[in-house]
Amino acid sequence: MNLEFAGAIHESPLRGSAVIPMSLLEVKNLTKHFGGLAAVQGVNFAIGRGEIVSLIGPNGAGKTTIFNLLSGVYTPDQGEVRLDGEDLVGRRPFEICRRGMGRTFQIMQPFPHMTVLENVATSGLFGRAPKASMKKVEEEARELCRWVGLGEKAGMFPRNLPVADQKRIEIARALAIKPKLLLLDEVMSGLTPTETAEAIKLVRQLRERGMTIFLIEHVMKVVMGISDRVIVLHHGEKISEGPPRQVAHDSKVIEAYLGEEMENSEEPSC
Amino acid sequence: MNRSFSWKKGFFLLFLILFVLGFPRLVDAYFLHLAVTFFLAMILASSWDILARTGQVSVGQAGLFGIGAYTAAILFNRIHLSPVLGMVAGAMVSVLVAALLGYLTLRLRGIYFSITTIAFAEALSVIWLMTPGFTGGAMGLSTPPLFGGDRQQAYYLILGILALTVAAVWLIQSTRLNFAFTAIRENEEVANVMGINPTRYKVLAFMVSAFFTGFAGGFYSHYNTYIIPYEVFGLGISIACLVMPIFGGLYTITGPILGTIIVKVIEEYLRVTVSYGHQIAYGLILVLVVLFMPEGVVGLWRNKISPLFRPASR
Repeated sequence: MNLEFAGAIHESPLRGSAVIPMSLLEVKNLTKHFGGLAAVQGVNFAIGRGEIVSLIGPNGAGKTTIFNLLSGVYTPDQGEVRLDGEDLVGRRPFEICRRGMGRTFQIMQPFPHMTVLENVATSGLFGRAPKASMKKVEEEARELCRWVGLGEKAGMFPRNLPVADQKRIEIARALAIKPKLLLLDEVMSGLTPTETAEAIKLVRQLRERGMTIFLIEHVMKVVMGISDRVIVLHHGEKISEGPPRQVAHDSKVIEAYLGEEMENSEEPSC
Repeated sequence: MNRSFSWKKGFFLLFLILFVLGFPRLVDAYFLHLAVTFFLAMILASSWDILARTGQVSVGQAGLFGIGAYTAAILFNRIHLSPVLGMVAGAMVSVLVAALLGYLTLRLRGIYFSITTIAFAEALSVIWLMTPGFTGGAMGLSTPPLFGGDRQQAYYLILGILALTVAAVWLIQSTRLNFAFTAIRENEEVANVMGINPTRYKVLAFMVSAFFTGFAGGFYSHYNTYIIPYEVFGLGISIACLVMPIFGGLYTITGPILGTIIVKVIEEYLRVTVSYGHQIAYGLILVLVVLFMPEGVVGLWRNKISPLFRPASR
């Protein structure tokens, strides 16, 4: 596994020559059971600074559970999660957030009675350590809204906005905490092809800013296009990891997706 | 958050302040007493609304009210502490109790928290009945009239407490607390992931709410000169605390105030016409408001009535 990871480092275009070997996120033996069901079972992986890593797998593979474990929504039964060297296991979500973990939700959950700007400002006010003044946060939130393409809609309420814009709110909200690591949970599902293209552009721009991104994605074209590395999950276990091309031809992965060659399909069978 | 200052509003506010300051000179003792009960109810309504801003419905404000009332009365009877200091002490003890209770119960959500608060107030009432040596039991406690029965002074004191309460609400509304409270109310999980510690802010809201409710309780015991557990810990007070802000409009400064005025006027009218009429009115008001005007009087004004008067050009 270490070898795979080292390989990925060399592939990543952002890697400089003098690299600190410690990765930004280290996950060891992550395990979570719900009753008798092993939702996540002994998963190990690491994410380096500036990398874009995708987490894929059939429905029910445990992808969102991993996100919930990382962000503290669930507490792992076993295992270790380290962000920037700091142990996160047992910490509550707001503490993890302030340590630099920003996330979006698969089902968009903007605060309905707050405007777009207020939604973004809220996480900026509380999710950041050290705290910033209200004026500064508001300015930055306005800037973020513009940046994700919600500039003119900053004063509107989320319920009046289409799905794509609600996803933008999710992203802006996660970015407002100035995360070290950004977790994107299916931000591109449910978007039209044009909207997906815009979303991909957004993720690429984030990478140019040096953001480290861990994303769950179903749209394979997206996964292949933007990931440095792909982690494949099946029945709560990691079955494959590596560069997109390599993973796509991994027999275990193909088997997990019912024999479908992933490269040729937009959506896996799920 | 975009609140623009207008001259019209400023003049209205100035007029209002002059009116309430000069009110005791304009009216007789009955109306002065009525004004005091109105202000007391406004404090209870506004402080209930502070907690409600975090999405928690307390049905046990009477517990905090009663603790404030009894602390003030007991301190006066035992050590002859001056009434106003007794009220402050009552507020402090209420805050302490709220902090403890809140820390234990505010991890609960929605209806579960509400049920705990009812149990809390009822339990206090039972404890009071079981310890007559210290609390006076079912016989209650009495204190001499506040300020020697000078209602004008009492009026200004309760007006001052009300002003403090409104100032606290205004402060909450215009600082980052507003964001935290609203976020927790709208989606606690998401708020948590966004860096907000829900328990901390809910306990804080409960403590602020307890401060003013306890203060009001202390004032009540001295003003009324006589308190019994059935009344100050009673469900009647807890329900009154929530009917008025719900009727007036939740999460606003004016809502609880306006709601109190309207509900109290109805209550005062029914008190002299139908016995227990005000309790029926509470139930009826709750049902009607929840069904037909979920944003209360303030929401009705903002959404339905005030647009009618707006110039057509806009």
